[in-house]
Amino acid sequence: MINNITLGQYIPGNSVLHRLDPRTKIIWTAALMVVIFMVETWPEYVMMGAFTLILVLISGVPVKQALKGIKPLLFILILTALLNIFFVDGTVIFRIGPVKATYEGLVSAFKLFLRLVMLVITASLMTFTTTPMSMTDGIEKLLKPFVKIGVPSHEIAMMMSIALRFIPTLMEEAQRIMKAQSSRGADFDTGNIFQRIKSFIPVLIPLFVSAFKRADELAEAMESRCYRGGQGRTRLKTIHFTRIDLNATLAGIIFILFMFGYRFISSMI
Amino acid sequence: MKAMIKIENVSYEYRTQADSYLHDRAVDRVSAEIMQGEFVVILGRNGSGKSTLARLLNALLIPIEGTIYVDGMDTKDGELTWHIRKKVGLVFQNPDNQIVSTTVEEDVAFGPENLGLQPEIIRERVDASLRLVDMEDYSQHSPHMLSGGQKQRIAIAGILAMEPKCIVLDEATSMLDPQGRKDVMEVLYKLNKEKGITIVLITHHMNEAIYADRAIVMQDGRIILEGTPRSIFQRIETIRNAGLDVPKVTDLADRLKKRGFNIPGLPITRNELVTALKNIIGRNKDITPAIGKNYQPRFYRSGLALARDIIKVQDLSYVYMPGTTYERKALKNINLSVKEGEIFGIIGHTGSGKSTLVQHFNGILKPASGYIEVDGQAATGKNLKELRKKVGLIFQYPEQQLFEETVYKDITFGLQKMNLSEDEIKERVFRVIDLLGISPELLEKSPFELSGGQKRRVAIAGVLIMEPRVLVLDEPTAGLDPSGSREVFNILTELNRKEGTTIVLISHSMDDVAEYCHRVAVMNDGELVMCDTVENVFLQSDRISSIGLDIPQITEVFNCLAQETGGPALPVLTVDHAVEILEQFFDGTGGVRQ
Repeated sequence: MINNITLGQYIPGNSVLHRLDPRTKIIWTAALMVVIFMVETWPEYVMMGAFTLILVLISGVPVKQALKGIKPLLFILILTALLNIFFVDGTVIFRIGPVKATYEGLVSAFKLFLRLVMLVITASLMTFTTTPMSMTDGIEKLLKPFVKIGVPSHEIAMMMSIALRFIPTLMEEAQRIMKAQSSRGADFDTGNIFQRIKSFIPVLIPLFVSAFKRADELAEAMESRCYRGGQGRTRLKTIHFTRIDLNATLAGIIFILFMFGYRFISSMI
Repeated sequence: MKAMIKIENVSYEYRTQADSYLHDRAVDRVSAEIMQGEFVVILGRNGSGKSTLARLLNALLIPIEGTIYVDGMDTKDGELTWHIRKKVGLVFQNPDNQIVSTTVEEDVAFGPENLGLQPEIIRERVDASLRLVDMEDYSQHSPHMLSGGQKQRIAIAGILAMEPKCIVLDEATSMLDPQGRKDVMEVLYKLNKEKGITIVLITHHMNEAIYADRAIVMQDGRIILEGTPRSIFQRIETIRNAGLDVPKVTDLADRLKKRGFNIPGLPITRNELVTALKNIIGRNKDITPAIGKNYQPRFYRSGLALARDIIKVQDLSYVYMPGTTYERKALKNINLSVKEGEIFGIIGHTGSGKSTLVQHFNGILKPASGYIEVDGQAATGKNLKELRKKVGLIFQYPEQQLFEETVYKDITFGLQKMNLSEDEIKERVFRVIDLLGISPELLEKSPFELSGGQKRRVAIAGVLIMEPRVLVLDEPTAGLDPSGSREVFNILTELNRKEGTTIVLISHSMDDVAEYCHRVAVMNDGELVMCDTVENVFLQSDRISSIGLDIPQITEVFNCLAQETGGPALPVLTVDHAVEILEQFFDGTGGVRQ
């Protein structure tokens, strides 16, 4: 059950989105999120929705898979939608006691729902099409300019990739220790919340001890392989902007200009 | 020949937190030379200083006295550290803790990247290194999905990509199963012979030493023996005193020689011993009669056949992660029973389902289908607490589960919810530490201060204190040196004999299984292939080999003898039995031992 959490959820492929430079993807994901929050009118929703759908289709990620990302957020989505229906003032459709549902509420709930779905899909498209390694590379490069003001860009990226590397290992270990301790009579399933938390001490302490030991050994292994920080380090896979990145960026800018240009023109009329 | 590494009167001590020196020197006035292109093994028990020595060789540690020269460079010189590490690569014990990246090829690239090489050169080196260790098909894999042996080969590739002159392996095979160990050893021989890379292999597996150019034996931080493996194995007493052991065939040859058998030299491989034995047995003489008419397997001799079944497994199947893409049938229709009072071995590859099977015995896993009965009660029922009191399960590397402030508290952890009086708990603690040879002074210490062997015994004590009727152990001697494993087995046999505790034991060491078990189950790919007396199982050497498992060394020797004469294979498993049979044969036929 723990093993099937595939971190980063990377789905192998060779689509245009897969081939984009991770920096392009990170920046554009951020930009699109801002745009999604600026979307207001119905035509804009339609355009934005179509754009998101096209991105999914280009990526080659099965639509079903792309929608899966929404599942864990479904509860929050429905809750915020309901709150909107009942708490936005306007034309009343029906009442339950003191609570009234309004037409305006319904509309804004629906829009909010759409907005969040698009947000989730855009964000997960990035993780679907980018390996954890190139993601950390991208972050490292993007943070480079901030090194001057003391942001340790290489160290941040290295820590992220080591964390990604060791999460499955530590999860397996946690599982094994839990089995061992329950063989010795530990009980993780009964008792009140405090007792349950306490019952995890026999798991957490060995897990921490081992994590520190692993860290120690990993440091030795890295030093043995001549690691001395980011200075003078090269990479097997260098990331660089290509024509695809340029084209994608132009396409994105044209789309945004078109969408907001439409709003500007329609407001003029 | 040029010296690759020159160790001149080197000592090292670990400092305590108070910055004062500890009394024991981890490495004590060691001098040695390792030539370019040599294959050297360094042997020694846990704590003999061999791992410290490994870290001194690539400047991870700097000697407090004496000097180490790597290819002429002094390791003390901070300016040269990176040049030294480029020349001498270090592979560590735990495969998991030396892999940095989330894909195989990125990990192999880590070293060259640190050297600041150009991407095209890194790519070339990564591909070439992966080919050398025979892992090129795995370049895009995630390391945590690989087996231990594969991970170690990736670690070796990571070193190779830096184009070193020398590779030092610090017990790099000790956490691997026999197949993984064989694969790694093959790679090392290839690198040594074809690429001329100097190999320094630190180990306590004596069988790995046989083919080395030179062996160095360490004890208490000092070198006590040095020479060809053959010359070193002559010194059986010294080696045993150092907590190590000689190969079984050498042991047998030595014992036979002492009884007047004319064996030239001291054989260290199976073939050498077989040739020597053939010469004295003579052509076409069948040694079968020596086994005796009344011979019975151990299992029947000890009357266990009549004992009742304490564990019964019927049609057991288990599926890992059903309904996901990772779904895998881990157990397929297993039927077996364990007799009360027996020592029951389980052998098979990593991933063959051994651990999954035994985790059903105390209800940690629930069967997908089938039925398990322990001591007359269904093990699938609700009363898991009772079941876990009856069946103690000791996992691999149990010392990793210690967590309490004191050894005493850790040992008694399982008793907390059993409503025992303080006196009764104390009594149990003292009984169990007596059995395991844990000294009472350790009880108030933190378990984290103990040595590896002590920790393991404390962890075993924590299970034995529940006074289980059945003790299940998953590779109880993994990572222990020969004397440490012998101690564990002595404890187990004593527990079995004195308290009548039934013991179920998973092991990768066929020699240990042959020596201690009554019956053995052979698992392969989730299926139970054989389940019979240990003698009958190892007699079917073809079937065992066909699933890639080993035969005990002594049994192999007798198989070869039988093949020669065309007689039936003999169920000879241990050195003791072999000596007995050969004596019988010569006395019975009136032959001369010359």
